[in-house]
Order: sequence, then C-alpha cells, then structure tokens
Amino acid sequence: MDTRLSEFQIPVGFKDILPLEAQLRRKLKEGFFRLFNQWSYQEIIPPCLEYYEQLRGSSKEEELFKLIEPSGRVLALRPDLTTPIARMAATHLKDNSLPIRLCYFGNAYRYEGIQVGRQREFEQAGVELLGAPGVGADAEMVALAVESLRLSGLADFQLGIGQVAITHGLLEDVGVPAAEIENVKLLMTRKDFVGLEEKLLQLDLPKERGQEIRAIFSLRGGGKTLDKIKGIAKSETITKAIEDLKEVYSALEVLGLTKHIFFDFSILRDFDYYTGIVFEGYAAGFGYPICGGGRYDGLLGKFGWAVPAVGFAIGIDRLVGALPKEEKKSMDVLVVGGNLADRLQEANLLRKQGLGVEVEILDKDREEIKAYQLRKNIAKLVEVKGEKTDG
Amino acid sequence: MAKNLLTIALPKGKLGEEAIALLKKVGLPTTDLKTDSRQLLFEYQEEGYRYLICRPTDVPVYVEHGAAALGIVGKDTIEESGADIFELVDLKFGFCRFVVALPLAKAEEITTNGVPELRKLNHKRVATKFPNVAKKYFSSLGMQVEVIKLHGNIELAPRVGLAEMIVDIVSTGKTLKENRLLAVADIFNATARLIANRVNYRMEFQTIDPLVQALKQLVEERS
Repeated sequence: MDTRLSEFQIPVGFKDILPLEAQLRRKLKEGFFRLFNQWSYQEIIPPCLEYYEQLRGSSKEEELFKLIEPSGRVLALRPDLTTPIARMAATHLKDNSLPIRLCYFGNAYRYEGIQVGRQREFEQAGVELLGAPGVGADAEMVALAVESLRLSGLADFQLGIGQVAITHGLLEDVGVPAAEIENVKLLMTRKDFVGLEEKLLQLDLPKERGQEIRAIFSLRGGGKTLDKIKGIAKSETITKAIEDLKEVYSALEVLGLTKHIFFDFSILRDFDYYTGIVFEGYAAGFGYPICGGGRYDGLLGKFGWAVPAVGFAIGIDRLVGALPKEEKKSMDVLVVGGNLADRLQEANLLRKQGLGVEVEILDKDREEIKAYQLRKNIAKLVEVKGEKTDG
Repeated sequence: MAKNLLTIALPKGKLGEEAIALLKKVGLPTTDLKTDSRQLLFEYQEEGYRYLICRPTDVPVYVEHGAAALGIVGKDTIEESGADIFELVDLKFGFCRFVVALPLAKAEEITTNGVPELRKLNHKRVATKFPNVAKKYFSSLGMQVEVIKLHGNIELAPRVGLAEMIVDIVSTGKTLKENRLLAVADIFNATARLIANRVNYRMEFQTIDPLVQALKQLVEERS
C-alpha cells in the first residue's frame, strides 16, 4: 500500500464536505434560520467542548469523545447542543422573562459504532423553548418541526409522536413490575415483538394484562389512537397527560398538519433526559429518522435552574441524504478582456446590480474562455473594452 | 424506479427457501422466486413487491440502512450483527441452538457432579463465527476469553489446538458428535425472524402491518 496516502486520511466517521453539498447545507440552514426567526427563536452559539462531568448524565458514557486538559480535567465534545444550551441558559438567561425561545446551528459529536453507518461528527439545526410547560409549548414545537420539514423540500415525510411519561405510566398501570419497566421499554424502542412475548411469558401476568401491554406496544395511528390508550390508562396523571396530548392534536388539526403526524407510543428516543412528548421525523425512502426532539423538564434543574423545556433538532446530514441532489449554482457573468484593473472595476459595477460575477484572471485566450464558460455554465460573457496591458 | 415496491431481503439457501414457502402461503407473489439462482433481484410490479437475495449475514445490513424495508433472517445473524432494526415476528422455522462446546476430555475435566463449570475456562481461547455473541455471553458471566474469529468449520479449531473451546450454532448435534465435541452450555435458541427497517415500518405501516398480522397468524396456526 502507498504509505503517503494514509497521511491524507481523515478520522473514521468524519467527512469532507465539498462545494456542491456545502451549497445545499447552506441553503437549508438559511431557510431554517429565517423560519426560526419568524417564530421568535433567537440564535445562540454554545462552545464545542464542555467539562465532561456536565455532559455525562445526559448521554451514553462510551459515546462521548473525551480530551484531557494539561491540568488534568477531562473535557468532552458536545454529543448534542441541548445539554450545553441548558447549561448556558441556566447560567446566563435566568433573569429573562419566560418563555425563552432559542435556536442553534452547529456540529455535534458521538463515538458511534462504525458498522451503523452513522457519522461521528454531524450537523444539527434546532430550537429550544424554555420555561413553558404544557400544551401550548408542545403544540408549537410539533408544528414548527412539521413546518421545518416542509420547508426543507422533502416530498413525503411523517412525524411520529410519542409521550414517554404516558408509555411509562401505562406500563405501570397495567402491572409491569417496576424493575422490569426499563427492560420492556427497551423492547418497545426496538419493536421487538418476539422479545416481548418471551418477556410476557417470563412475567406471568394475567392474560388480559398481557393483551394490554401488547396493545401499548403496537398502537399506532391518528387522533383515535389516543382514545384507545385512554381505555387502558388507570391512573389520573396518565389520563390527564392523554387529555393534554389530545389538545395538542386538536391544535395541529386546526393548522391542517395532521396528515403529517401519527402517534406511536413506542417512540421513546435515545436520550435519557426526555420527560413528556417526544417525536421523530421520517422521510420516505430514507432509513433513519431525519429529526427528533421532545420535552425535557428535568435537564435545566441539573444546572440549578428548574424550568421546563421542550425542543427538537434536525439532522442536516440525514436531510442531505434524503433530499435529491442539487445542481451546482452557476455565475451570471464572466468578465474578460481589457486589463486587470478594468475587469475588476467592471465586475464590481455588475455585482452592485446584484449579479454573480467571476473575473478572468488566468490570461486565457478566446477559445479557452469559451470552453471554460461552457463547462462552468456561466450565462453571459462581458468583454471590457480597452487595451490589454497586463500579462 | 421501483420506489413504491416493498423490498424484502431474503437469505440464500435453505432458510431463504423456507421463507419463500411462508410468503407464498400468506399470498405474496413468489412465481419463479429462487434463492439459489444467479438472479439476485426479483420484481413483481403488479403486486408491488421486490425481493433481494443476499448472504444471510447481509440481510440485517440491507434492512438497517433501509435498502430493504423487510427481511427474513435467523436470530443468530441478528444478534451477531447488532443491527438497529425492528424484530416483528418469530417465524419459528430454522431452529438452532447457540452453544459453547468443548472436546470431550476437556468437558469432563471441568465437570464436577455432572455440572460443567465454565469459570474454569477463564482466559482461554474460543473459536467462533460469531465473535460478538461469544464476547457478550462470556462477559455476561464475568469471564474474559480470547475470541478468535473463523469463517467456517469451527469444529476444527479445538482439534488442532487453535482454541480450547468453540461457540457455534447447532441444529442436530451431528457435527459436534463427529468431532468428539460436547455442548456444555446453551447461550440461546434461534429461529428465523421477520425484521423491519425502523423508518419503513413507520412510513409504510399500512402495507407492512397486514403482512405482519398474516404471518403471525400463519405461524400460530402451524404450531
């Protein structure tokens, strides 16, 4: 093997992004930025590195990229932007009037197994709504997520909504022992129906209870799904949570967004910090969720400011994978002829008119220029009058 | 493009043939569908299905990445792959056991009062086609072993001293017997499963769910 080649490799799970893809990413982020702004979300920029102990609680230990400061303190690259933003808000924004609406754009880092085909550095665009419990904030979050996916240009997408407290409560209500709830939830996230049957056999619950658990596992659909799970719920808190979710659904119905959403109570998301509504966005023909988010009422409390919060992030890398490839943007004008100063001056005049202008700087002859214009698909040639003095 | 065809990944060989028989019974198109031909893609435009034929170990890969919405493959392969997929139905065919096996003499050596004590094999070498399953199993017992990955005929390894023991799948036990090996521990039982891609399952629920229910019912009727 050529040993020189290995000098130019980049770490596994990282990616060089070339102009064509960068152009698409920029367009998407600009669109999201305008949309988030219109909904009153202001951009903030957290640091890439945080102290390890501050990130440890909310993500999987083995997925954190760690670094050691010369002083010996351990740092970690942010595995998402939600945790650093929670820390930032609890430190700097306590005195603001509630609710606080924030948005962000940036890379996150997770040491994922390579066989999963995921990037270890990935770009996210997202929003966080702090200091607002309840239906209003949940509805705004889901509606904004649907708007974002619509704006991105996906032909066909769906947002699946779950509620982790309802799922947990229902499992309690139907008599799954406390020690087994986490195991059953794990089976649910993997839709492991076979594992569920084995677990039910092992738990030896009454037949009717088993049926109810199966129902929680596989219920999926629109607004009517909520009535079905209400029949299973026994405790008052869960019944209330279902009522709240119905209210969210009604709001989305009025907005005409329900064709893009469905309920699925096996959606629990990977991060441990979720406490209420959770959701994931899917695009037709793409194997991974495009976006995800939910309510995390406990996270800010860990940083000394106990306010409720809800948010979501869109995976820009995933979105790029799900969208059709873009055409390269081409310039409007190529300025040729004359001397360099004339060409630069002419180019500036044209740019002031709002055109995209490229200046010829390689002393190409007429034929080369023609070929270049054709290859770069530049709409128009502008020839500067005057003597060619340079070159 | 075959965008609205539901793609199902099927393994080559006996498991795949049994899968086809099952799919035929629930009314899916299977005319001329074979897992041992040179043709690897079979499309049924009218019925809306497409099958891709691949090595069993590749089935979870196609499904995890969404190149196939569904797949049929053994639980052994799923466990080894660690793929992030949904496991929908136990199809109850292709039964095999995952076992730890030792040469007869060695098995006797670690057995007291008829109970084999695996702990005595700490720090020993284990040859297997399934390194992930083997690592997970031994680490769940708090043991450290050296796992040597082989690609076939695992039973040879202890005979020539490459490893003290093996982790392998056994269906009849004939191969073990012929090689004077004894199964000393069961890791788990495996059968064929219907698996689904996480997103396809949710986006194409209306197509996938009836198929899932039909297969479930068929399997129940059979057993």
